[in-house]
Amino acid sequence: MADVFTLGIDIGSTASKAVILKNGEEIIGKSLLDVGTGTSGPERVIRQIFEDTGMTKEQMALIMGTGYGRNSIEIADQNMSELSCHARGAYFLLPSVHTVIDIGGQDVKVIQIDNGAMVNFQMNDKCAAGTGRFLDVMARVLEVEVSELGDLAAQSTKRVGISSTCTVFAESEVISQLAHGTKKSDIINGVHHSVAARVTGLAHRVGIRDDVMMTGGVAQNKGVVSALEEELGHIVHTTPLTQYVGALGAALFAYQKALVKAKQ
Amino acid sequence: MSNMETLLQEFAVVAASPKAQLKKYKEQGKKVIGVLPYYAPEELVYAAGMVPMGIWGTNNKTISKAKEYCATFYCTIAQLALEMLLDGTMDDLDGIITPTICDTLRPMSQNFRVSMGDKMPVIFLAHPQNRFADWGIKFTMDQYHDVKKQLEKIASKAITPEDLKEAIKVYNRSRRARRAFTKLANEHCDVITPTKRMQVLKAAWFMLKDEYTEKLEELNAELAKLPVCDWKGTKVVTSGIICDNPQLLAIFEENNIAIADDDVAHESRAFRVDAPETDDPMHDLAEQFKNLDYDVLLYDPASAENRRGEFVADLVKKSGAQGLVLFMQQFCDPEEMEYPYLKKALDAADIPHVKLGIDQQMRDFGQVKTSLQAFADVLSLRA
Repeated sequence: MADVFTLGIDIGSTASKAVILKNGEEIIGKSLLDVGTGTSGPERVIRQIFEDTGMTKEQMALIMGTGYGRNSIEIADQNMSELSCHARGAYFLLPSVHTVIDIGGQDVKVIQIDNGAMVNFQMNDKCAAGTGRFLDVMARVLEVEVSELGDLAAQSTKRVGISSTCTVFAESEVISQLAHGTKKSDIINGVHHSVAARVTGLAHRVGIRDDVMMTGGVAQNKGVVSALEEELGHIVHTTPLTQYVGALGAALFAYQKALVKAKQ
Repeated sequence: MSNMETLLQEFAVVAASPKAQLKKYKEQGKKVIGVLPYYAPEELVYAAGMVPMGIWGTNNKTISKAKEYCATFYCTIAQLALEMLLDGTMDDLDGIITPTICDTLRPMSQNFRVSMGDKMPVIFLAHPQNRFADWGIKFTMDQYHDVKKQLEKIASKAITPEDLKEAIKVYNRSRRARRAFTKLANEHCDVITPTKRMQVLKAAWFMLKDEYTEKLEELNAELAKLPVCDWKGTKVVTSGIICDNPQLLAIFEENNIAIADDDVAHESRAFRVDAPETDDPMHDLAEQFKNLDYDVLLYDPASAENRRGEFVADLVKKSGAQGLVLFMQQFCDPEEMEYPYLKKALDAADIPHVKLGIDQQMRDFGQVKTSLQAFADVLSLRA
């Protein structure tokens, strides 16, 4: 039987990701750009993955779009919500997973999984607190790169309390701490715990069951992961493919649907 | 266009244009009274020969003028209701009734009085929480008598017991027709999409009830002729204060989600209970208020139990829905505070639900789209 290739494209609010899967099992290509929906990111990430793999659109049995910008991916045959795709992708990478926490650019999602399928979920309210945007804002005020936050938090000797209610108020608190000469690493530690507290509140609404996996770009920040472990009281698994989990899930769904289509 | 399509189109036009309805009635020489949420005895307005018109905010405006009178944390329904009066959309009304059973509308009644009092009579109405005992009934009746007196002054006409009895009859018939419609809408959810369902029910707030009921009964008769549809998508019950945003309801349609029934204040909560029809019509109206139940805003003497939560869970099961969509109005304290026990009852009954944070100034529906699409996935997997 000929190999079946599927493409999953995850266009988020701050990043564009794509994964090509062979026979629903093997990742043969992946690409990522740090710009999301409404930018040139979606078009470029698709061009890049085809260039990298030497494959073409015509070789794809099915293309599935996901993410905040899923409705505007012209090349996609179908689209699915990123919650379903993160659940599917996380289950593929960690079959014992029952809880997925995805902190995206403007959303936080906590997903409950049973036998590989999403059975319940919660999303954040219309508020940036606890999201990737919250960390972006804090990094800017602290004059550090978002990618540095994890390492800086590791140098903290004392955690500073930062509220988890509102990004604007939390920003004022950070400025006030800086004015008082508080160490940046301690403030960052507080910021991470603020995010973790917010996410934990959401997670409790769904119910937390081991294994817990964190997906999305923020999972690369070790400071947030360890703050989350502390607040949740559970081990939080991550994956080197953390930013690709949504796109991977989309490619897996695409494979499943391609098989159904082939049978018809 | 079939008769059914014509009727649906008429309801859609009315639902979208309260200002045009107000103009139409005024041109007919009728007086029109604005009625704010919740549970105002519209029958009194009708009995006075005037047109009651619901004011539940709008999805098409941005709060601007109302900011002068309202704190940021007031819900957008209340603020946009005031905006519609201040910006000239509905300022041709002959008066407004401001019920005060909601925590925001209670203080807001004074903002309406201060801002609009010089232009039109603002009729204050305080429903009692203890509405069951004789003295609770008497309190309700006293309040309604006061509203009646002020309406009589505006109408320059005395409301006789016969007028009120007739009004109650008209309203009971209208409530029955709306209850019948929600059942038919469930059976024919292929024709009555979430948007059309909303339009039909919303139009009731902007039409004289006898005119409205006549059209609705006609629509019901047309629907009853159709075979019950074999719906392949999912079905939900909706809950919350209001969910009349067409952009939001279009997301239901995109994801093949039909509305089997509702627990929405703007919809079914407003017509669940009829008034008795005796020789004491004012008492009948108070009795009707007494008989209202399972509402976030109403005092429940058995509050140690989870009656409302269980009622909503039961509604989902009885209607054949697979889940519940909760529209949570931003800054609505009563609905937000009720959520944990509603969730507890739904979880206990193994009913999945999704809570969508909304307000009437919402212009971006990306997050709602994601939530509803994911919820449809969850429901399909459970089916």
